Amino acid sequence: MSGFIAFAIINVVVVMALAPLYISLVKKMKAFLQGRKGPGLLQAYYSLWKLFKKEVVYSSNSSFIMRVAPYISIISALVAALFVPLLFIPDDYSGFGNIILLLYILAVGKFFMALGGLDAGSAFGGMGSSREMSISSMVEPVVIVLFAAIAFVFRSTNLFEILREASHGLGGYASLWLLLIPLVIVLLTETARIPIDNPETHLELTMVHEAMILEQSGRNLALLEIASAIKQLLLMGIIINLFMPMGFNLQVLFPAGILIAFGAFAIKGAFLAASIGVIESSVAKLRLFRLPNLFALSFFLSVVTIMMEVLL
Amino acid sequence: MPTLFFQSGVGLLLIASFLALVFLHVKQSRIRKCFLALIILACVLFLASSLSVLLGGDALAFYLMLSGLRVSLSIDVLAAFFIGIIGLVGLSVAIYSLSYVEHVGSERKKNFMLSMMAVFILSMVLVVASHHLLGFLVFWELMSISSLFLVLIDFEKEETRKAGIFYFVMTQLSTVFLIFAFALIYNHAGTLEIITIRGLPPFIASLVFVSLALGFGIKAGAIPFHKWLPYAHPASPSPISALMSGVMIKVAIYGIVRFILLLPDKKLWWGILILILGTSSALLGVIYALKEHDLKRLLAYHSIENIGIILIGIGLYMLFSWYSQPAIALLALFAALFHTLNHALFKSLLFLSAGSVVHATHTKNIEKMGGLMKTMPYTAALFLIGAISISALPPLNGFVSELMLFQVFFSSGVIASPMMTLVLFFALSLFALTSALAAACFVKAFGIVFLALPRSKEAEMAKESGPAMILGQAILAVLCIGLGVFSFQIFQQVGQKAGISFDLPNLLLISATAVFIGAVIFIAVRGISNRNVRISETWGCGIASQNSRMEYTASGFSDPILTIFSSIYRTKKINRRSFHDHDSAVFKEGHAEVLLLRFFEEYLYLPVVRLIRFLSSFLYKVQNKVELDPYLLSSFVAILALLLYLGVAIR
Repeated sequence: MSGFIAFAIINVVVVMALAPLYISLVKKMKAFLQGRKGPGLLQAYYSLWKLFKKEVVYSSNSSFIMRVAPYISIISALVAALFVPLLFIPDDYSGFGNIILLLYILAVGKFFMALGGLDAGSAFGGMGSSREMSISSMVEPVVIVLFAAIAFVFRSTNLFEILREASHGLGGYASLWLLLIPLVIVLLTETARIPIDNPETHLELTMVHEAMILEQSGRNLALLEIASAIKQLLLMGIIINLFMPMGFNLQVLFPAGILIAFGAFAIKGAFLAASIGVIESSVAKLRLFRLPNLFALSFFLSVVTIMMEVLL
Repeated sequence: MPTLFFQSGVGLLLIASFLALVFLHVKQSRIRKCFLALIILACVLFLASSLSVLLGGDALAFYLMLSGLRVSLSIDVLAAFFIGIIGLVGLSVAIYSLSYVEHVGSERKKNFMLSMMAVFILSMVLVVASHHLLGFLVFWELMSISSLFLVLIDFEKEETRKAGIFYFVMTQLSTVFLIFAFALIYNHAGTLEIITIRGLPPFIASLVFVSLALGFGIKAGAIPFHKWLPYAHPASPSPISALMSGVMIKVAIYGIVRFILLLPDKKLWWGILILILGTSSALLGVIYALKEHDLKRLLAYHSIENIGIILIGIGLYMLFSWYSQPAIALLALFAALFHTLNHALFKSLLFLSAGSVVHATHTKNIEKMGGLMKTMPYTAALFLIGAISISALPPLNGFVSELMLFQVFFSSGVIASPMMTLVLFFALSLFALTSALAAACFVKAFGIVFLALPRSKEAEMAKESGPAMILGQAILAVLCIGLGVFSFQIFQQVGQKAGISFDLPNLLLISATAVFIGAVIFIAVRGISNRNVRISETWGCGIASQNSRMEYTASGFSDPILTIFSSIYRTKKINRRSFHDHDSAVFKEGHAEVLLLRFFEEYLYLPVVRLIRFLSSFLYKVQNKVELDPYLLSSFVAILALLLYLGVAIR
């Protein structure tokens, strides 16, 4: 158990430290591709600090849902952080790592965030909640089948076991590479990025996630922002440790091994975040009702993976 | 001892029902409280006898003398489990009714409702405990008829009468199929006892299976036999909806599980049939629920969805046992049974709190509600617990049973047939879609009913319901939380008894971790952040004061999903416009219409009705011909045929 507690503390610290950095990095990359200078890499940290220092404004229409939603959101993100090994795998992880539970813990945060969107009675919030829940219902079968395909390939539903198996290299799991595309689509969806949503705008026609948290302010907004950043980092972590396991789970002594793993993870994460920036800059946002086609593509690729595993 | 508990429970319910009928015109609410106390006590006794069987593990076999008839009963673990569900839900519904019943209408109606409620609970318990097919049928009919009376409590309304007739026809149809199946069993197996069904020829076994599936499927509300549910539930008083949706359709599930376990040499296609029935009920149930704005009808469609989920579990059980994977099959069966219990709890909870809301706002239309969080905080919190549970979010109980089903689906790789594996993965994706849509639907239901500003005068004036109504719901809510958080510990015990191991995550540990993280975050945020709080208007795009007409509506909320699934709803949007000028700029007049095609009524129910109407009008013509000749001719032909038949048969 003490091994797991050490793992939990390290994981949470890594998540809190790196999550805002990658948000900035994506912005920086987009700015670079647009020929702008862009904000500094530490801008996300400054913004969060600023939000924590601002007063909170609640709507007079709102109830306790709006007050607890940010906390539930961040709690769900941090509990989920204990399910995704980022640097190493502890010896004892009993009770954690079930991938279905991971998805549903993230869904709890989303559920309360959507309720929070309806709470203030603003049309923007309602629109954001409605679209967010529609998109999340569309993407849910894709995510489940994608995770079922991963679980099927590795014969396990525990993320710790899956990633331990993957850390030996994907040599025996060639079909898994097909899942990279659906995983990236799910990453873009869950973190509300182009082509699904546009995190930059506050335009009624395009925003989904931003509309939902429009009425939130001050520390509550900061908590919600951290929660989304953590969610992004966790999904990135799954992709990184599944497909680029170099440096992950090194069997080296305590401080050195962790530091090397951290360095490796930070670099790989920076690479992936930059790629997200490139993707966001090179495609246009899709119409809401075109999204099912995009999800159908990732659904198809997951099913093909399962078929390859079943038939070959 | 458990036998005595059960018998005295039956006795108490009989007394309660009899007394309530005798004192039909009694005005004092104290006397009604006594009737309800009898029902509560009976439910506690049923619960006690069920728990002693479940924990002790010994099946009971005994008989009751009901007006000179000897009724053999036997309670094994399966029956005890369902009796436990009936006891639990009956208990909390009876407590809720302590204050609800006073709002029902005239004195006669109140007392009659209590009397029928006692008969209804009694008949459900006896169906489950029946040892004989005949007893099963008799109590099944008693259950149907007492629930019909309960649906018809508000018989003055045209809508209620229509719902009652629809329900009556469907429920009798279900009995017809059951009688057919039981007759076949008796003919070929030669026994009326439920414990042994052997010696059925393969064809007859399949016939029995299909008619049982139809009979129980109609009663359970599986699509396409679901139409009575969304009619009957909004029409009946809320405690009755809770009983019907929470328990009565579970009795049909009991029937399916019981007879599927009994029937010998099962075929592969039986399991596939149940799986298809389950998947389509689950998906279509939730898709129809999304477009519903009548709160109780919305919940009724969710019952169809959850019956579908339970049927998926049963279908998976049959498939995996056919492919000789007993461990996974048992996991699927336990998932189905656990979901039965969970659905009974959270759906009764939701129906009861919906009842409080409907009573407080005098409308079932959620577009006229809103802002009830401030006026009815307890009801809101209880509804929220039910909503989280039905949306399958951890750590509540609804999540655990769906997680078990996901685990069964994820292990479909062990099946030897690749085709079947792919079919199961496809069913998995539909199942996942169902659970995500349910979450979307309950964000809509909770958000529109309880959050933001009230959308009507009635919603503004709503008052919190009485303590008995809150307590009845609170029991169910506590159970929803407890069964979820302690699921790991519970299933460790169950696994030891049943001899299988459940690979469930320890939700107690996860919840404790979440609480710890929450406490740390809360303290840290308080430490570093600005604590000033300001209350202000919601930004209304520059309009000085916001009103409820600017809020998002339920139709608006579900519109994106409705548009994506428009091919399933078969909605037709007609939009005709005419203009004053040629450039279509100056609007003259227009006409917009949304047509909803009632798919199952158009293509399944009405053709049957038309066929029957055609036949009956034909017979009517034959019978009412004025001339004597056709009569004589038909009698002559009939006698001739009878003579010929007898002549052949005797030889």
